Amino acid sequence: MTMDLLTLIVLLPLAGFVLNGLAGNRLGKGFVSVVGCGLPIVAFMATVRALLELQATGGSALLETVYTWAMVGDFRFEVAFYFDRLSALMTLIVTGVGSLIHVYSTGYMKDDASYARYFAYLNLFLFFMLLLVLGRSLLVCFVGWEGVGLASYLLIGFWFEDPAKAAAGKKAFITNRVGDAGFLLGMFLIYHALGTLDFDAVNAAFNGPVAPAVSASLVGLLLFVGATGKSAQIPLHVWLPDAMAGPTPVSALIHAATMVTAGVYLVARLNGLYLHAPEASQVIAIVGLATAFFAATIAVVQTDIKKVLAYSTVSQLGFMFLALGVGAYGVAVFHVYTHAFFKACLFLGAGSVIHAMSGEQDVRRMGGLARKIPVTFVTFAVATAAIAGIPPLAGFFSKDEILWFAFASERGGSPLLWIVASFTALMTAFYMFRLLMLTFLTPSRMDEKTAHHVHESPVSMTGVLVVLAVLSAIGGFFHVYHFLEPVMPMPAENEALEHLKLPLVIFAVVTGLTGLAAAVYVYGKGLARADRLQQRFAGLHRLLSGKYYVDELYEAVLGRPLHWISERVFLDLGDRALIDGTLHGLTGLAQRAAGRLSRVETGNLQFYVLLAALGVVASLAWMWGHG
Amino acid sequence: MSLETLLLYFFAAAALAGGVLMLVARHPMRVALALISSMVSLAGIYAILGVHVIAVFQVLIYVGAVMVFMVYVIMLLDVRDPSFLERYGRALVPSVAVAGVLAAALGAAVSRGRIATAADLAHVQPEGAPAPFAVQPFSVEFLGDYWLHFELTSVLLLAAVVAAIAVIKAGRRHDG
Amino acid sequence: MDRTQLLLTLSIALFSLGLVGVMIRRNALVMLMCMELMLNGVILSLVTFAERTATVSGAVLVFLVFVVAAAEIAIAIPIVLLLARQRHTLDVGAWSGLKG
Repeated sequence: MTMDLLTLIVLLPLAGFVLNGLAGNRLGKGFVSVVGCGLPIVAFMATVRALLELQATGGSALLETVYTWAMVGDFRFEVAFYFDRLSALMTLIVTGVGSLIHVYSTGYMKDDASYARYFAYLNLFLFFMLLLVLGRSLLVCFVGWEGVGLASYLLIGFWFEDPAKAAAGKKAFITNRVGDAGFLLGMFLIYHALGTLDFDAVNAAFNGPVAPAVSASLVGLLLFVGATGKSAQIPLHVWLPDAMAGPTPVSALIHAATMVTAGVYLVARLNGLYLHAPEASQVIAIVGLATAFFAATIAVVQTDIKKVLAYSTVSQLGFMFLALGVGAYGVAVFHVYTHAFFKACLFLGAGSVIHAMSGEQDVRRMGGLARKIPVTFVTFAVATAAIAGIPPLAGFFSKDEILWFAFASERGGSPLLWIVASFTALMTAFYMFRLLMLTFLTPSRMDEKTAHHVHESPVSMTGVLVVLAVLSAIGGFFHVYHFLEPVMPMPAENEALEHLKLPLVIFAVVTGLTGLAAAVYVYGKGLARADRLQQRFAGLHRLLSGKYYVDELYEAVLGRPLHWISERVFLDLGDRALIDGTLHGLTGLAQRAAGRLSRVETGNLQFYVLLAALGVVASLAWMWGHG
Repeated sequence: MSLETLLLYFFAAAALAGGVLMLVARHPMRVALALISSMVSLAGIYAILGVHVIAVFQVLIYVGAVMVFMVYVIMLLDVRDPSFLERYGRALVPSVAVAGVLAAALGAAVSRGRIATAADLAHVQPEGAPAPFAVQPFSVEFLGDYWLHFELTSVLLLAAVVAAIAVIKAGRRHDG
Repeated sequence: MDRTQLLLTLSIALFSLGLVGVMIRRNALVMLMCMELMLNGVILSLVTFAERTATVSGAVLVFLVFVVAAAEIAIAIPIVLLLARQRHTLDVGAWSGLKG
């Protein structure tokens, strides 16, 4: 029984998918809810059990080989699961937060006609995500990688009758695919150089005495390209804001807590490789920081409650990659852990607000909700404080560690990184408190009918919010990076800067409070002051509202040329002229030839006799010619 | 040059002349008469060869039945139609050319080849036996060895009669 | 040229003449008569060979050919008659329904 624990964890959500997918519609919402939520909860309990076993073995990893997928020459591609401290943490997050969001969904999606399909897809997502984090080899991880991309597409475009929502799903999938090309190339290089795809073997090979025959930086960069797609970093970040077209619990689960952190997990898992790839690490740090900064600037001017949170997610992911870039792998995973709590709480809170507002998502039409939906307000406020880095909430600990290592790490930390990161943290606090103010605390800008309908969400939703808010508050006290140290060593810190550690912490807290104060100052009484600022900085506001026109750039540089090539080259030239032309040409040729040949049939009897005589003469000549 | 050879050449020339006249004459009746003269010349050639039975049959059957029928039909029909005014079809020159090539080829084959004679065959005619192509030996052998073929010809003729009646009946039905 | 060669040459000539006549004359009855000429040419060569090898089977074959020729003409002429009655002409060019 114990040997199959990991397989059980992975297969439970798959069973949920099959049951709900095949029989859900017929067996009613009760059945779907029990199966859809119950199986992930059982998977969570199994994970806890596995964790206890892991601790009992003193931290050496659990290994389960399920079956051999393929054999090529001497090499076996196996489906195997690997459970060490990192996998344990990730699996706990996935199953734990996942189960909570499943429970929330029973309330949120109660009135939806495709209830069974929703839970089926959600369980499918869990299955693939667990494959991703529990997989022993890059291959199994890649299967999970692709699978979560599929589940994301299915869930973003859940209400596919709306073409805009379906298009958002497509955009997500295609952008991911672009990143996956990098992932695949990295995988090929690793296999070619090392002959294996198992994570532990790859890390050992790079950490070992003999350097492998492939450039670690090259592989690292290629794999990072894949991570860029999945974790929405520049330049492949464009799908995440559009993904808000899906149901809010989906945004919470997939685009905040779990799937988007897959890129972070990948880099953290291969820390053995990245330790020996300084160039790649530097690129990762810079890209992460740039993403964090630019996403934060865009979030400042967003008016849709979910879009603010989406850009916030992109920004926080940037922070995680910054930490990975300077070698603080454990700290990045710590931020994954805390971010899962407060971001899920924020998204679900937003869902609760949208539910209360009968579908309204524009914060300019909200306000004054604090009294009306108090539970949602309090949990949202706690999570906002957490993300802003107010101590002693969870976000403070993780973000502070990231800022410290950005400053002081021996593997690329510098004051410049720290300054930009701190400014980004300031903006984070600002836009999050802006959101809180505009949604809950400013005087109401709602219209009469909506204001009348505002009501608190059912317990299935608020209960989960409370749990997540509590976790956001106290989760930071469990220092994940110490827990992970056997697997991911902490980078060396610059001894000379040790004395600046406490001042930096205080500076970070001050930054958070400054952001809070600025938000209160600008938005305290509503939108008036903000509108005046907008008019003063109209150009900048336009740039930020237009998201730096990245989508338009992609459309102009990639979209339109591809479209042109498809239409002019492949359709007109290749298909119509070449293929159709060839076929029509052949048929025309056959027809013309037949027309000419049919002139033999004159209908004149004597002509036929002549032809027969001609044939006789010809055959006689041939016979005599050939003896 | 014996009499036999002379007569042979004469009848051959007559047959050829008849053939050429057939191609040239305009009135079908003249064509028929040319054909009849050709056939009679051929009968003469058979007689010179000593194949008397065949010579007789040539005149009796071919001229006496076939050509009479043909003459009868020519006299029945109105022959002054487009084919009377325009004797030749469209493929005049090519036809003559092709036939000429055919004739030349066959002639070349004949002049080069070696034709078997009685001496080559195992079958040897006993000395003094009557000529095999006289009526009596011919009919004895014919109805003795080849009686099946004879019966089959009567079947063939029956079929021909039935077919002729069917054709006429169809024609009559068509005319209402 | 000896007798056999002469007769064979004559046979070939008659056959060719008949063939030319079939190909160039437009009157249906004249075409039939040219076909008879071709048949006669062939019969001549049969008789020549029969005489040379002194076998009776050659003559029997000629006899059978006569029978067949008679039967053939007995059918062919009524057919031509019917055809002529249809188109009111003996011209073979009137029948070109199989054109194209």
